[in-house]
Amino acid sequence: MKKFVKWSKQNWLVWAVAAAYLVLTVARPAQAARAALLSVQTFVELIATLVTVFVFVGLFQVWVTDDFVMKHLGDRSGFKGLALGAGLGTVLHGPLIGVFPLLRALLAKGAKVGVVVAIVSTWAIKLPMIPLEVRLFGWKFALLRNGLLFASAFIMAPLMNLVLGRTWVDRFRGIGDTDDPGAGSAPTVPGSGPAEAIASDIRSLA
Amino acid sequence: MQVTDYAIIGVVAVLLGVSGFKDMARTKKALKIGAKQFWNVLPFFIAVFGLIGLLEVLLTPQQVQAWLGSSNGMLAPFYAAVFGGMATGPPAAVFPLGQYLLAQKASVAAVSTLLIAWVAVGTVTLPAEIRFFGARFAFSRWAIAFVLSIVLGLMMGWLL
Repeated sequence: MKKFVKWSKQNWLVWAVAAAYLVLTVARPAQAARAALLSVQTFVELIATLVTVFVFVGLFQVWVTDDFVMKHLGDRSGFKGLALGAGLGTVLHGPLIGVFPLLRALLAKGAKVGVVVAIVSTWAIKLPMIPLEVRLFGWKFALLRNGLLFASAFIMAPLMNLVLGRTWVDRFRGIGDTDDPGAGSAPTVPGSGPAEAIASDIRSLA
Repeated sequence: MQVTDYAIIGVVAVLLGVSGFKDMARTKKALKIGAKQFWNVLPFFIAVFGLIGLLEVLLTPQQVQAWLGSSNGMLAPFYAAVFGGMATGPPAAVFPLGQYLLAQKASVAAVSTLLIAWVAVGTVTLPAEIRFFGARFAFSRWAIAFVLSIVLGLMMGWLL
């Protein structure tokens, strides 16, 4: 039951759309049938690419591990630290909520606020999903959108630093890394090991 | 299927081959991860396609244009940011919806804003974010992300 509620929360759109179809089927069956047909057509046209993209997602996750990212981003201070955070944001996977514990651990270990904000702000870039974006919107659109999003990390981070002030980050220093203040609703970061690895690695950013 | 589809499938097939050649166990794990994630997002994707069918039948392009068209100026991306910011779902699930809206004469600015806000704003996850980082961080980030999604959307519309 609990699992079902969680599933329904994540897939709220399923119920909303199902209800809409139900109403439409009763009210105007012909339109409902046409809508369903159009949906199936759109779905069939994209399904092969969709499956392919998720094969890519799997490959991406096993080869571009968090450790791999940390090792290859080199020197990390100032602007480069921000770039590291922004880069990290594009390759970490899962919903934003899944990465909160990791970010908190980073802050506890002494990472700069800017780095954490950079990770959060490039979260909207999903590197493995770019092929799908290219397929649906074209090269120009995809490159421009992701480029602008990446650049925005460098605006957002200083802005957040300004809003939060110098002392904000102090409250996170030295608290338990894996300490989850919530009710444990946040899913763990994929492969909990790398979280620690990144945390200790980013310490040098302080 | 379009040329891009075959290109994507071809490239990923090659990558899969290289991966399998280098490390079979890892590649199997990759396929498992991919299959699991695909299975997880599939219901939402099906719902999005269902929604696109519904919108196509119920809304005329003129109606989409009236709300999200470029003639609506700043308001179009604003609506997109409100909807995208409130809704949550798999990041890529919004792509087909965006493409549909674009085909129905929604402005590039509005669609770009929608795509960005869908992932970046995160109104639903605000309570969790407040628990982890405090209200000040969460609300500032939320507000900046909201405004930024519109600004970036407008830049997209201006550049494309």
